[in-house]
Amino acid sequence: KANSHNLLVSGAGDIKLTKDGNVLLHEMQIQHPTASLIAKVATAQDDITGDGTTSNVLIIGELLKQADLYISEGLHPRIIAEGFEAAKEKSLAVLEEVKVTREMDRETLINVARTSLRTKVHAELADLLTEAVVDAVLAIAKPNEPTDLYMVEIMEMKHKTDCDTQLIRGLVLDHGARHPDMKKRVEDAYILTCNVSLEYEKTEVNSGFFYKSADEREKLVAAERKFIEDRVQKIIALKNKVCPNGDKGFVVINQKGIDPFSLDALAKEGIVGLRRAKRRNMERLTLACGGIAMNSVDDLTPECLGHAGLVYEHTLGEEKYTFIEKCGNPRSVTLLVKGPNKHTLTQIKDAVRDGLRAVKNAIEDGSVVSGAGAFEVAVADALVKHKPNVKGRAQLGVQAFADALLVIPKVLAQNSGYDPQETLLKLQTEYKESGQLVGVDLSTGEPMVAGEAGVWDNYSVKKQLLHSCTVIASNILLVDEIMRAGMSSLKG
Amino acid sequence: MSSLCREVITLQLGHYSNFAGTHWWNLQDASLSYDPESPPGEIQSDVVFREGQTPGGHVTYTPRLIAMDLKGSLRTLRQEGSLYDAGKDTSALTWDGSITMHEESPPAKNSFLEDLDKLDKGEILAEADFPSSSQPQCSARSLSVDTVNSHLARVQKSYRLECSVKVWSDFLRIHLHPRTISVIHQYNHDGEAHRLEAFGQGESLLQGSVLEELEDRLHFFVEECDYLQGFQVLCDLADGFAGLGSKVTELLHDSYGGRGILTWGLLPVSHPDSVSVSFFKSKCFVTRLLYLYLLSLFEQTPVKDLYRLLNCTLGMVHMASHSSLFCPLTLRGGLGRRPSSPTTFTHLSYDPSLWYHSSSVLALALDTLTAPYRLRNNSVPMWQLADDLAVSGRKVVAAYGAVPFPMMHGSSLPDALSTYTDVLPWRPLSGCAEAGDGRCYGQWATLKGFEGQKLISSLAAGTKPPTPLHSLHSGEDVLASYIRSFYPSAPLALQLVSTPSELAPPFPQIFSQSLGAQGFLEGQPPPPGSTPRVISSVPVMTSLQSGPALDPWLSELHRGVSAFDIRRVAPSFLSQGPEVSDYQEALEQLRLLARCYRDDSRGVMRSSSEEEDDD
Repeated sequence: KANSHNLLVSGAGDIKLTKDGNVLLHEMQIQHPTASLIAKVATAQDDITGDGTTSNVLIIGELLKQADLYISEGLHPRIIAEGFEAAKEKSLAVLEEVKVTREMDRETLINVARTSLRTKVHAELADLLTEAVVDAVLAIAKPNEPTDLYMVEIMEMKHKTDCDTQLIRGLVLDHGARHPDMKKRVEDAYILTCNVSLEYEKTEVNSGFFYKSADEREKLVAAERKFIEDRVQKIIALKNKVCPNGDKGFVVINQKGIDPFSLDALAKEGIVGLRRAKRRNMERLTLACGGIAMNSVDDLTPECLGHAGLVYEHTLGEEKYTFIEKCGNPRSVTLLVKGPNKHTLTQIKDAVRDGLRAVKNAIEDGSVVSGAGAFEVAVADALVKHKPNVKGRAQLGVQAFADALLVIPKVLAQNSGYDPQETLLKLQTEYKESGQLVGVDLSTGEPMVAGEAGVWDNYSVKKQLLHSCTVIASNILLVDEIMRAGMSSLKG
Repeated sequence: MSSLCREVITLQLGHYSNFAGTHWWNLQDASLSYDPESPPGEIQSDVVFREGQTPGGHVTYTPRLIAMDLKGSLRTLRQEGSLYDAGKDTSALTWDGSITMHEESPPAKNSFLEDLDKLDKGEILAEADFPSSSQPQCSARSLSVDTVNSHLARVQKSYRLECSVKVWSDFLRIHLHPRTISVIHQYNHDGEAHRLEAFGQGESLLQGSVLEELEDRLHFFVEECDYLQGFQVLCDLADGFAGLGSKVTELLHDSYGGRGILTWGLLPVSHPDSVSVSFFKSKCFVTRLLYLYLLSLFEQTPVKDLYRLLNCTLGMVHMASHSSLFCPLTLRGGLGRRPSSPTTFTHLSYDPSLWYHSSSVLALALDTLTAPYRLRNNSVPMWQLADDLAVSGRKVVAAYGAVPFPMMHGSSLPDALSTYTDVLPWRPLSGCAEAGDGRCYGQWATLKGFEGQKLISSLAAGTKPPTPLHSLHSGEDVLASYIRSFYPSAPLALQLVSTPSELAPPFPQIFSQSLGAQGFLEGQPPPPGSTPRVISSVPVMTSLQSGPALDPWLSELHRGVSAFDIRRVAPSFLSQGPEVSDYQEALEQLRLLARCYRDDSRGVMRSSSEEEDDD
């Protein structure tokens, strides 16, 4: 977990600020075959767990470095790979021992999210994101069911001065009503979610070859127009039924188009109409506001309608946003990310995604692991003790594995400005004496009990990490001389 | 029928498509008029352009365009453009710790891009080539309407970018909307690793964040349209973009039913193979020698050619099934692995191996091909164009073009056409030769750019017309009668557009010296030694055809692909999908597609002999 940020500026001036290894790997044009293999695996790690890319690359690099020492002394790569395998098995066993299984209450989740986010954005912002992220997941989580992060929409808004992230218990759509007479703010509103064309389209009747008489064409157009008008009238009829006094609002959110004629008809009745809603927001809409997404206007009933306490439009330049808020019991929520420019927005969004994944992982794992390098110190110690149980020279592979894992606490210390070896020694001594899982306190450089300080990592991330770095390092070792020739140039 | 603005959204998928697209947008931009006094043009630019507003309140006019390309393909162009952004702001608001700066040195800009930068900053270009005689009238106008166009037009510099154009942004004249460019980070534009080479790779791209991003971009451009008529999709056929294009057209088809989807599958004449390029660039003599030796051994990387053939075949089958109409666009002699020599045009001298050249010819043709649905009055919406041509499953059509349309300066349309009594003036633009037997199921012909010329012959009363064409009373009749002399019974639709395609720098000067400045033939070539004429506009005639000629053309493609066992020859092609069974089904679809074009009206004898060909 490198603690320095990387500001990438392309030749043309495109900017990316990141600390996320996954983002880095995606941005760079990696041409070296071995490096690209590592990049592929590391990004696969991110796809599975949403985190750990940087750790993965660090450990793989370190494994190869350690292995290289032994290989140059004549040890066959296959023996080392056997050692790696044995070490992985033992490490996984240690992971099962040290993981802490407990109820994932809000406080624990906040700790997990904070640990993940603080490595990605500065502490103040991380703490702001932490609560938003945890509350977003808690809002949509159902007991004993996998959490669907899809139900958290991340909406970005470019804003000159603001830089924050807030949780909207409802939905934010990035478009507005396309009629000047429609209200910009509606309170206590019925929400009709539908997927019905309210625009004149090409007629279904095949027009045959080339031109028909203009008269006949006009008739066809009129018939089609009438067809669309009828649909609009059905919506208006429902509105008049549920809001007889006109004291409540009525908002139509349509996945298909609404043409200017239909918009006009809706506006006259005081209905706000939004067209071309994104497909992925249709399900979210009904989960946020209730009601049913309608594919036809033929069987409209008041039961199809959802409800929102407040619907309002917000305009920024040519961008329009519609906030659908104060929903009763929203099962889909929105994280609204504001920032002054694209690269800030992208960085916050990446961080938010990682934070969401960390919280989801924690809930699904039902357990967490001590962070801040504590886990790695404990595993390295266990591996050294385990070495005599491994046959022959494969022991060297186990040793290499143990040494490689220690790169994590070392890098943590180094990035905070402490001497990596000194810090590591302190950690190892403290661990041996107290038997507690101690990691680096980044503000002092001294050992601390990670669990007590609330530094928790995901169990599944650690598990995946152990698997994938072993597999990839072994594979690279086992391919032929050509690939290893490539490896040595990689270090340069 | 009406003068509603029926919006069209353009998608450009792949690097060569972006080359052609860039030329096409440059052509559109060159014919825009920012002068409120001038009468509205024949082409309604609002169909493909949108008016927007920057956060600073400036009004913008940018293409309704989504352009996808790979990592490393933009060079000097910023992904979000410079229109909506105040500039570089690298301050890190989200991080107060240490920051490592990785700044790529900006690639050198060519002379054209440097001039564009100067214009953006408000500097006036050195008007070296400007003829002083016409200056007074011009400068008065340029004070009121001070545009990039007028500047570039006045400077009339011929940039000669042939050697400096590496990517399409090297000759892009216009500003793009920040939502336009979408970079696919999973694959590299050049180099050895992570190339988008196979159909399956492209197909599997459209999921997760790439899909979400595309949906967001589409939503942005579609939502604001009141009368969206459809999408024009330009997609590379030779690489993995064929797979991406298949999925994109499927998405459009599923999400925007009822809209037209006109898909143009683009194929360059040749590919700069990355290996050969790096070998050739090598200063080491031995390396170059080694390369030549390898070439002689392997006969030009047959596996890559095979991949291209497969991509092209699968892309064609899938995109045709999801689009309203599919038309390949290429200057190659054919779609197969060993095509005949590239298409030549009498009045063009272009270099087929230069993407900058070949794509400019295709863009010029495309400007005319797409004209019918972009007209201000009497426009023919996309879906009608498609309905007219794609009858009974024949969704693939072939394009032909006369680029430029050969017409003597000061003559009339009947004069021009009557010099082509034996053979049509157009040449294949889809790699599909015309059958020449007069059979055709449907044809859409467009003539654009006869401005200033006569459409009908103006013979003095009583004079005997030299050909029947000279006795007709409208341009439509003349053209229809002429085309009917080749295709007597084929249904025919015509569109005549007077405004020519305006060529402004940096359109390459690829025209023969027999053309005058307006692109019409001059009686005499310029005297030797005089400065070459700069061509500022050209007339173009195009035709889209659906006919029996497509049967042998598609069948040949089918034979070419079925000739080998893919699992043995190119097993890695299917590693990221499609499944072998899906692959075989696609081949079967191609066979059936070819059969749709078979003319059943002929004798039983011939059709039965062709049945045998299949087996």
